[in-house]
Amino acid sequence: MTDALGLLWPAFVVAICLVGIHTYFGIEVLRRKVIFVDLALAQIAALGATVAFLLGHPVQSAAAYGYSLGFTLVAAVLLAFTRAWSSRIPQEALIGVIYVVAAAAAILLIDRAPQGAEHLKQILTGNIVTSGIDELVFIAPLYLAIAALHAILRRWLADRASVAWDFLFYATFGIVVTSSVALAGVLLVFSFLIIPAAIGVLYADTLARQLAIGWLAGAMTSAAGLAVSFAFDLPTGATMVCAFGAALAIAGVLYPVLCGDARLMARCAGMAVRWCAAITLAGSALWLIAAPRADQPLLDAAEYMLPGLRAGYLSRVELATYQDARAYAERHRVEAERLNAIETSSRSQGEALDDDTVQRISSFLKSYGEMRRGEEFVMREVRAHARERIRWMLGAGMVVLALLLMPGALGLLRQGAARLGPPAREPQ
Amino acid sequence: MSGIARCGGQARGGAIGRAALPVLVVTLMLAHGVAWAQERLAVVTTTGDLRSLTEAVGGARVEVTALTPSGFDPEEYQPRPQDLVRVRKAQAVMRVGLDFDLWVDRLLAQAGGSVRRGAPGYVDASLGIATLDVRGLSIGGDGHAHGSGNPHYWLDPRNAEIITGNIQAALASIDPANAEAYAANRLAFLSRLEGKLKDWDERLAALRGVPLVAYHNSWPYFARRFRLEFIGTVEPKPGVPPSPGHLASLIGTMNARGARIIVRQPHEPEKDAAFVAQRTGGMVAVLAASVGALPGADDYVSLFDVNIAALRAAAGVP
Repeated sequence: MTDALGLLWPAFVVAICLVGIHTYFGIEVLRRKVIFVDLALAQIAALGATVAFLLGHPVQSAAAYGYSLGFTLVAAVLLAFTRAWSSRIPQEALIGVIYVVAAAAAILLIDRAPQGAEHLKQILTGNIVTSGIDELVFIAPLYLAIAALHAILRRWLADRASVAWDFLFYATFGIVVTSSVALAGVLLVFSFLIIPAAIGVLYADTLARQLAIGWLAGAMTSAAGLAVSFAFDLPTGATMVCAFGAALAIAGVLYPVLCGDARLMARCAGMAVRWCAAITLAGSALWLIAAPRADQPLLDAAEYMLPGLRAGYLSRVELATYQDARAYAERHRVEAERLNAIETSSRSQGEALDDDTVQRISSFLKSYGEMRRGEEFVMREVRAHARERIRWMLGAGMVVLALLLMPGALGLLRQGAARLGPPAREPQ
Repeated sequence: MSGIARCGGQARGGAIGRAALPVLVVTLMLAHGVAWAQERLAVVTTTGDLRSLTEAVGGARVEVTALTPSGFDPEEYQPRPQDLVRVRKAQAVMRVGLDFDLWVDRLLAQAGGSVRRGAPGYVDASLGIATLDVRGLSIGGDGHAHGSGNPHYWLDPRNAEIITGNIQAALASIDPANAEAYAANRLAFLSRLEGKLKDWDERLAALRGVPLVAYHNSWPYFARRFRLEFIGTVEPKPGVPPSPGHLASLIGTMNARGARIIVRQPHEPEKDAAFVAQRTGGMVAVLAASVGALPGADDYVSLFDVNIAALRAAAGVP
């Protein structure tokens, strides 16, 4: 428990450090509408590191860093000068082209170098859990220096929309992205860049407030992502990216409540949810009627969450068969695990198993696998058979439910009843 | 050739005719030699390990090409256009099987002919191997996604007997004239391996009871043969970064058991292994799971020499 927490707190410090600088750059990136520029710059830096690698420099050496930096600066010049190049093509197109060409060029270069592809992958897939204080010692002063540089020069250069400011922006951003991606990976760095900044921009107008909100949101989300990754034993980077996605969704949902017409939004959301539910139900009903033996995602999910539902539509014999098959499948699995455990421990402990015994265990394990597959086939068959039997009734019920859920359906029903109502009364 | 000899015989008489005879013989031998060289069987293997073993069985009668270049991860290799040409020209294709080199299936399907599945030129070298870590249909507890068992079976040198048996059977059925030579080559190789095996066993005796950790579960066959104990893996599921809980429990187990050696292949990420090593005061030993992955591991026998030397160095055995 405490061990995992011991691993997580350096990751949290790294996350705070990255959120700090990336929120600032993210606000600027959103303003310039160059959303994917970080991917392009990271890829260019990776291309530089690839060239260094081919020239014989180790992956994490000063020379490799120098080459990365050189390539990034060239890209920064390119990006600074092409901003006002043509109003007919958005700059985002150029950024995309830089990304794919840099990625493809790196693949071509690395093709002849053994293990090169792995090194290339490592440059772009940092893991925040295994990044620690050692890297921070280098990164934190660098980021502070860049932040200070921006704070000083921003006032002088930013208003004039000059090429110099553009160059400074892309060059420093390239340095930051190159370092961050090696620490936390492309996906997470993109989240650090865009999501806190987007939340800040959503709720505030001045840079200072946007930054404050972005930092707060970024820090809270990072902590939540790390906690979930710890609690549910999930890969940290991917969990944090999903947490950032959820944070943006929450911020989006809260926005109308806090800043707009909450009632209107609630009505819109209600409509959307009802339409989604109605369409899902109707689609599932038609799919059940058309192909009852195929995968039925809605029914499968419902059964997964409430296994008691099965008793509702399986006959007594079917239910007994189903449960029997499941018990056997589980027994086969446990037995196979036991055999595997015996074999594994015999590799180094106790008496070694001879080749014939291992061969026998191996064929037993394969048989258990087949038997388990057989039992699972029985389970599927029983269920498919029962679904075939009830498809018309259940399908019709689901369609009716879908119609009732459809926005406006109740009103139509009421109108229909009203129109049918008066003639019924006329004879009196 | 005989035209020249006859010509010489007619013009200059007996002396020159006698001189021409050896020339004729030599020329005929050369011509036969060229023809013999052209008759070398073209064999393609998916990995350097199978190339080395095929060369051991085929000797000078086969021309073997490994599709995966040295130093590339054979499990993740992406075939090049030239590979299709190599497979089309090959009279036999040797693969590792057990879902290890799935990428060769498309090449085989496109090439067709004598190397498609079921044809005499198609060799799944895993036939008859006692597979370890069979986990049936699902991804098992330790996460190796190979339903048909762990595919790194060539890392048990005793399995070379079965692998070379499969290779010999295929070569003999394609080229029955040389069947005896293939059988003899194989026996010579196996007896050489037997001698090495004793040596390796002795050299690894120092590591019995020393707990080891692997980056990825590639070493069960190696561990079983040499009675080594692997107590965990850094990355339990290939391609999925380890969770903090897994890393913490691995570090805990390593500290509790006093495990200090982490085994990593050259193509596996450096950073995560180094992180665990730093937290446990351990060190990372770089081992080659395939021929050609490390300098010096140029054939099947030196592969084990290099790995065993690296393990001994990591354990501090002189």
